[in-house]
Amino acid sequence: MRVFTVIAVLASVFLALPEAAFGQGMADADAIASQNLRGYTHMFIAYAIAWIVVVGWVVSIARRLGRVERALND
Amino acid sequence: MSPRIRWSGAALGLLGIATTLVLHWMVFFWVPTERTMGVVQRIFYIHVPAAWVAFMAFGVVAICSGVYLWLKDERLDMAAVAAAEGGILYTAIVLLTGPFWGRVAWGTWWSWEPRLTLTLLLFFIYIGYFLVRSSTENPERGKRFAAVVGIVGALDIPLIHLSVTWFRSLHPAPVVMRPDGPSLHPDMLATLFVGLGASTLVFFSFFLFRYGLERMNRALAHREIAAQGAPQPEGAAS
Repeated sequence: MRVFTVIAVLASVFLALPEAAFGQGMADADAIASQNLRGYTHMFIAYAIAWIVVVGWVVSIARRLGRVERALND
Repeated sequence: MSPRIRWSGAALGLLGIATTLVLHWMVFFWVPTERTMGVVQRIFYIHVPAAWVAFMAFGVVAICSGVYLWLKDERLDMAAVAAAEGGILYTAIVLLTGPFWGRVAWGTWWSWEPRLTLTLLLFFIYIGYFLVRSSTENPERGKRFAAVVGIVGALDIPLIHLSVTWFRSLHPAPVVMRPDGPSLHPDMLATLFVGLGASTLVFFSFFLFRYGLERMNRALAHREIAAQGAPQPEGAAS
């Protein structure tokens, strides 16, 4: 639950950032026009998916380790 | 878990987290935006490293499996299992992040083009690796069958890499591994290499913990088998 709260806060901060905050600038005006909200949303979702999968693996390994350690100590 | 594995995993994990934080700063605040695709191209810095780690993990599976078939060393099978689990997860990241890029760049979430199809096939081959392992009553036979799947599955990796040059593909031609050198902007290339380093460190950290878990699992299984086979004390409840 805590992980999801962190992700939600990061998402809010990320979506609130102005476009100018990203990168060193564009090569030309057409490129600026190509940056739309859909691009940001898709990028954010892609990164969020990667984080969730990796964090999910960490949690899964930690839980299984705890279970096996308890069983071995019994 | 042995302290050596625990501390090595923790050290690699901390390094990996630090590098990942640097990567995210570079991706969101430093690297220039690609001219035609716009901001969505930044998925590249997580999509490509995930693919790299997946291929490396399946390479580890193939090598460990091959040597396991030869030497029958249990530790190699445990390493192959740990790497295969990581490889599947990183392939899932590749398959899940790619469509968000493709939707904007190609106008479609998914296409049955060679590279995507072969990557999906790779994912299912290594799901099969775990299914085959548990499908036989004799665990040793299951390990041998899985090792063969692990080796054969890795043959898909060069096909995935070369598919963009052999077949008509929506994927762009290689921009880094080219005979005349990378065609990426130097800042983009630097960000990509930081991403590759971060993903590799994180993967090997989790790989060590997963390997330690597999060792403990097997130690527990051996103990249970020994307990079942051990003579019961006289008068014990049946």
